[in-house]
Amino acid sequence: MSSPGRLHPITVAIREMADIFGRMGFGVVQGPELETEHYNFDALNIPEDHSSRDMWDTFWIKTRESEEKKVLRTHTSPMQIRWLESHGAPTRIVVPGKCFRNEATDMTHEAQFYQLEGLAVDTDVTLAHLKGTLERFCKEYFGSDAKVRFRPSYFPFTEPSVEVDVWFSAQQKWLEVMGAGMVHPKVLENAGVDAEKYQGFAFGLGVERFVMIKYGIPDIRLFHSGDIRFNYAFDEKKV
Amino acid sequence: MKISQKWLQNYFDTLLPSAEKLDDVLTFHAFEIEEASGDMLDVKVLPNRAADCLSHRGIAKELSAILDIPLKNDPLRSDVGTYDVPTSLKVEIEDPKKCLRYMGGVVKGVKVGPSPAWLKEALEAVEQRSINNIVDATNYVMLDIGQPLHAFDAGKLEMKEGKYAILVRGAKEDEKITTLSNEEFNLNSGALLITDAHSGGAIGIAGVKGGKSAEVTADTTDLIVESANFEGTSIRRTAQALRLSTDASQRFQNRPSPELAAYGMRDVLTLITDIAGGEVIGVVDEYPASPERSREVSVTLEKINSVLGSDFSNIEVEDALKRLALPYMVVNDTFTVTPPFERTDLTIPEDLVEEVGRIVGYDRIPATELPPIFSTPDQTRYRGIERMRDQMVEQGYTEVSTQSFAKKGDIALANPLDKAKPALRTSLEQNLQEALAQAKYYAPLVLAPNEKPKLFEVGTVFPKEGEHIELRMTERVVAWGDKADVVDNLSVAKLEDYGKEYEPKRYELGTYKPFSVYPFITRDIALWIPEETEAREPERIIRENAGELLVRLDQFDRFEKEGKVSLAFRLVFESMERTLTDDEVNGVMEKISAALRAAGYEVR
Repeated sequence: MSSPGRLHPITVAIREMADIFGRMGFGVVQGPELETEHYNFDALNIPEDHSSRDMWDTFWIKTRESEEKKVLRTHTSPMQIRWLESHGAPTRIVVPGKCFRNEATDMTHEAQFYQLEGLAVDTDVTLAHLKGTLERFCKEYFGSDAKVRFRPSYFPFTEPSVEVDVWFSAQQKWLEVMGAGMVHPKVLENAGVDAEKYQGFAFGLGVERFVMIKYGIPDIRLFHSGDIRFNYAFDEKKV
Repeated sequence: MKISQKWLQNYFDTLLPSAEKLDDVLTFHAFEIEEASGDMLDVKVLPNRAADCLSHRGIAKELSAILDIPLKNDPLRSDVGTYDVPTSLKVEIEDPKKCLRYMGGVVKGVKVGPSPAWLKEALEAVEQRSINNIVDATNYVMLDIGQPLHAFDAGKLEMKEGKYAILVRGAKEDEKITTLSNEEFNLNSGALLITDAHSGGAIGIAGVKGGKSAEVTADTTDLIVESANFEGTSIRRTAQALRLSTDASQRFQNRPSPELAAYGMRDVLTLITDIAGGEVIGVVDEYPASPERSREVSVTLEKINSVLGSDFSNIEVEDALKRLALPYMVVNDTFTVTPPFERTDLTIPEDLVEEVGRIVGYDRIPATELPPIFSTPDQTRYRGIERMRDQMVEQGYTEVSTQSFAKKGDIALANPLDKAKPALRTSLEQNLQEALAQAKYYAPLVLAPNEKPKLFEVGTVFPKEGEHIELRMTERVVAWGDKADVVDNLSVAKLEDYGKEYEPKRYELGTYKPFSVYPFITRDIALWIPEETEAREPERIIRENAGELLVRLDQFDRFEKEGKVSLAFRLVFESMERTLTDDEVNGVMEKISAALRAAGYEVR
């Protein structure tokens, strides 16, 4: 029997994140990487020819005239719609998965990366719950001296929208880590949920970014290179 | 949007705070600052506010609300003025859905020349180039209140029966235009043009860029000044098709209110006559969209607090609305706001919730934990997949993650980033083989000498039947018997029972230790040691003498013979800074051998 191999650091991170959110009642679900224009954009209140689409550099799939347009999902947010359509409210889920952006790669940008989407919908979920949830998550993931703060932002599928910063004590500074907000009533309606009765929050965090901050990794391109030296660049201890 | 603090100060009697303070309050109540240098702040205006905040006035308005200091004068709240209708200009709009308003001002007798110093300085402060007083006036007013403007040299248009005629029409197939920057563009039939109706020639790409044929030059004396509103989608498509993103197109594609055009016309005519002289003959106003009726948006105090989870009072909400200068009425805790025309973003109650939240401040929102929930979604497939991963690791396999793009596949990208990989992978096999070849090379760095790398990946693949999650390994798991395959479809595999109760294994990782981009060198050394020697001792001597270039040391062999023990070690050398030479490593090995001999061991 040979000695055991190693999980990829992204797997290790997603498990840890799923565990933390699991303790707050969130279940893990997954969705397709090849998405329709409807789920990736339209249902999320990002209409065609709207300047807000410029927020996502998109890989489009070659399709025939008659076919529905398809994309490589630019975010895990389409699962908000898919999940609410099939399971309704109330619900709490996290959705880890690979996403794609058609942009030049450098130390902090990769065309392929992992996102973890969070969604909580109920009759009385508030922005304060979003803050409480993310604060607890960051304390458990980064350490007990982590704090979060919100800044105004804009995403077509949340209203209000916020940018989330985390106080990272090792570097003594605030780092921008994710976008979030209260689910836009149109998004709930598009997914067949009664927006008069239900409200909720959603967030989308970049998994690589969290891992890079936590372990001091300088370059995002190390993650999906297939190089096993990356797996062995950390001391590993079973919890 | 580049903002000059000096320019902003024109809006206030009160002295504005320092750049750091402005940066801070804008960041926490409105927009991020991308860059600040000297007098200039580069404000990252959010897409939903691009209709009113791509302007100094818009940013001043935000600061007025955040800092609670009044605007000296709000150009959008003061009288818009009236003009005669000139007999010398006719304007016609072919498609009122694409051109919501077109105002054409006729000015005679201007003197084109350099701009006054204050204007040059203002434009240079936001990194705009001064051209001449007329062009500068149009740019200044656009940057000031957000309305794109353009001035044509009337003398370059045909006049018939004492009239100039402007026609806003769609381009003909393959119609050409040369812009002010001397670039020729071939237009598609979708593009909107400003044309001279008499000559039929194009004088500008509507909402994008002016044409060369009616350029204002030193000889110009008469102007037709355009302040219009073009539909956002049409402008966006044209700007994208021509790859020509301009200050004007960026503003129009965010759909500012057509009402703004009148304010733009008023301000630019005032400025032109101030700095270039001339006489305003009149203004034509074709406004097929007609003024929008003002929309009301209502929200209750209870709604605000129930969305934000806050405990704001009526007084705080009123204070926020007052500071934003949003006209409102309040009846029984219900706030009914009539947004001013430029605030096109305020349409639903949640928009008002956001306005109140950000002005009062998100630091006032408490961090509240969610109450317990009694049912969580079924996670057996996730857990089943994780259990498969744990099994692979237990069998000695290392997990890799590779790229989803491939040279060939059933699904092709319309716009690949890497032209050599224009398709989506149909299998993990190719990537895994490449990763294995690489892993074999790097194995001495990360694995013991008697181990060979075995890899697996769990990833989405895209064959023509549709995507699924594939598990693939570089070789069969021996313990699973002869029939075990190297590949499995985890999207259809029966994982329900397998995953049900499974808790995926958790690992704690240490700080990342960078690896070198330079090649490594391996050396083996074998030695005889007396049977009674502490096994750690030779290892200690090797480490002590190898120096910092030694990155891995494994003992890979041991046998006993005639009261002596033979040990074999593999040493791996690597530098973070450079490629090592054989000579250099040989030198280190000699030093180690000498030290081992000195300790009384026999190096073989």
